[in-house]
Amino acid sequence: MFIRAVQHNAELDAFRAEVREFCKSEMPAEVRAKQARGQHLERHEYDAWLKRLGSRGWLTGKWPKEHGGLGWQPEQFLAFQEELGRAGAPPLISFGPTMAGPVIYTFGTPEQKKKYLHGIIRNETWWCQGYSEPGAGSDLAGLKTRAVRDGTHYVVNGQKIWTSMAHWADMIFALVRTNPDAKKQEGISFLLIDMKSPGITVRPIIGITLGHHLNEVFFENVRVPVENLIGEENKGWTYAKFLLANERVGNVDIAKLESYLGQIRRLLEETKESGRALAEDPLFQRRLAELEVGFATVKALMADQLAAARTNGAPSLMGAAALKLRGTELVQAILQTGLDVLGRHGMVFQSDALHAGWNGELIGPEESADVIYEHLYRRAATIYGGSSEVQKNIIAKGALGL
Amino acid sequence: MPSFSAEERQLLDDSLQGFLSENYSFERWKKLARGPEMEGFGRAEWARYAELGWLGVALPEAAGGAGGGMTELGIVMAAAGRHMVLEPLLGTIVLAAGAIEHAGTTAQRDRMLPQIAAGKHLMAFCHAEPGAGYARDYVRAVARADASGFVIDGEKTFALGAHAADTLVASARMGSDKGQVCLFLVPRTASGVRLNVAPALDGRLGATVSLTGAKVVADAKLGDGHVDMLGTIDRLIDRGAIAVCAEACGAMAAVTQATVEYLKTRQQFGQPLSKFQVLQHRLVDMSVSGEEARAIVHAALQALDDNAPGAQQAVWAAKVQTARSARFVGGQAIQLHGGMGMTDELAIGHYYKRLTLCETLFGDGEWYLKQIGAAAATSAIAASAT
Repeated sequence: MFIRAVQHNAELDAFRAEVREFCKSEMPAEVRAKQARGQHLERHEYDAWLKRLGSRGWLTGKWPKEHGGLGWQPEQFLAFQEELGRAGAPPLISFGPTMAGPVIYTFGTPEQKKKYLHGIIRNETWWCQGYSEPGAGSDLAGLKTRAVRDGTHYVVNGQKIWTSMAHWADMIFALVRTNPDAKKQEGISFLLIDMKSPGITVRPIIGITLGHHLNEVFFENVRVPVENLIGEENKGWTYAKFLLANERVGNVDIAKLESYLGQIRRLLEETKESGRALAEDPLFQRRLAELEVGFATVKALMADQLAAARTNGAPSLMGAAALKLRGTELVQAILQTGLDVLGRHGMVFQSDALHAGWNGELIGPEESADVIYEHLYRRAATIYGGSSEVQKNIIAKGALGL
Repeated sequence: MPSFSAEERQLLDDSLQGFLSENYSFERWKKLARGPEMEGFGRAEWARYAELGWLGVALPEAAGGAGGGMTELGIVMAAAGRHMVLEPLLGTIVLAAGAIEHAGTTAQRDRMLPQIAAGKHLMAFCHAEPGAGYARDYVRAVARADASGFVIDGEKTFALGAHAADTLVASARMGSDKGQVCLFLVPRTASGVRLNVAPALDGRLGATVSLTGAKVVADAKLGDGHVDMLGTIDRLIDRGAIAVCAEACGAMAAVTQATVEYLKTRQQFGQPLSKFQVLQHRLVDMSVSGEEARAIVHAALQALDDNAPGAQQAVWAAKVQTARSARFVGGQAIQLHGGMGMTDELAIGHYYKRLTLCETLFGDGEWYLKQIGAAAATSAIAASAT
């Protein structure tokens, strides 16, 4: 259908003002200072800010009210994201609110909902994602981490990789193989595992960003109570796909895109060629216009998927794939523009400047190191959450019937 | 311009590939790049390059060089790109040596060039200033004559290798900001010279340079008489641009080859990734894109060596194509390696960063397109006026 029902919300402007005011008054001073310099936050600094957002229920505003959400319309969610981006707020972390939460409230037991949802809403529990394995990347269903039932527990052995923020997480949601003899998608189960369980080892992976964001997670005879199984044993692939659709919508971070565009505009103002700001260069004006149009398109695609999620309980696999495909291309195009500007300052990468306490002398605009870091990090945007090639296969098969 | 025979070029390439394949593994690269000396390259390696004749490859025989031209320099830079060589070839043998050769007096050439060929003198080219962007004629630094020589004041943006250079080649206007542009040999440790050392995106070190009442001797000015050096600087930057294009060609060949090998071994869905046609086509595009760059860079090097009338246009066109190819090939190398391409542990990401630097040094593709367009418009106006 070309036209989707849209409810006009006259209160949206008031809500935007509320978010702006909240960002102004509630963002801890040290967080604001670091954000302004493009410096990286420690977990406790994220926590201080995210808990405040959580106290309003805003981290999970788009969840249905019956599960503790605020039942936001798509327009309200987008407005929230835009305002966070414009205020230069720290990024939201999607593993709990976008990934674990909806799986738990859709497929979990009443006990699981009671135990976990509150911690996600208030940001009291940090989650990470146990999907990819060394031998199971694009071919996710080829995963080998084993879970064997032993009385009231599963015993888990194996390895996950590319696990973002595992070093900070309290819980991991993991896909494990419970039936090695079935067809590969039919022997998978979905487990919630406490990261403090004996037998779990987290090992850092240093990225091309020179930062530590990714990890390997090893499981050696990790005992997981059977009540931590989501839904039915061996039906995990169904929940996994449901989560993937949400993840892919979440991969397109409107607040981040908004804040990146703000950074690009500032870089163009601060960088001169022959003494004139690049912002006055018609070629860069055109580039910026192109990015703005791309952003408007991606937001429109996003609104569709948010609406689908409200109506059907989940975004469509195909729609989420298309959004992820274009949204991640856009984030790379925006950050590429940043690099094109920074080439004029010699393409310096003072990665140490991203950490508090660095007292060196910056070269070029203040946000240079952050923009280069994000550029490098978002090279993975077309890889994580299912590579662009995988998204195209999903659309080819699912939407076009090829 | 003099140049090597086909056999001599092959021998040069064999010497480069032979030595670097044996002695410049990625493991060695990591040790040099992040060694405790904090120089970010190897002094011993530099001495070997001198012995092997690479540093003087494009210098006159009288200066201890091999008498080659830009093509020979390109062969060296391509090998440097293939192995991600960290030593300051660009600043020393491409830019500074070129400056001395083309702008220096006979005495200055006789004094400096043999030292460069012998590996005894490291140099960096400090021309670009904050506010210049990629513009080549934006010079605000000023040099004033005094009793013993010159006093220079100005700011120079980040230059690779400046942190370790014995001598910086710096541009400044004579007398006032309206004066003629001159080039000066500034000892890095001269009083009034302050460096801010930093890593470039690819980890190679360099520095911005602040000149505050920096004093140099009278003989530090390159050349004698009153010649504006902007034309020479223009040609030097072309020389730098085509050198980084050659470097990118080597890096693209290496990273494409590594990606082909990886896709042949990486199993997903019960078969190697290299069996998927969409990925085969991507590898083909990477390979062809690298070949396009190599071909047009070769043509531009030849045009420079022949002193052909359209040589500058050829360099600019080569930079446009190479910038495009480098962006595509580097990006796809990471994409096709998946998560592995995102790790510091693998060479792939380092090639990506190196290619990004090659793409942007001395002007990116968009900037050169703009120059080509402006030059075409100017000549069209000139043609219609006659």
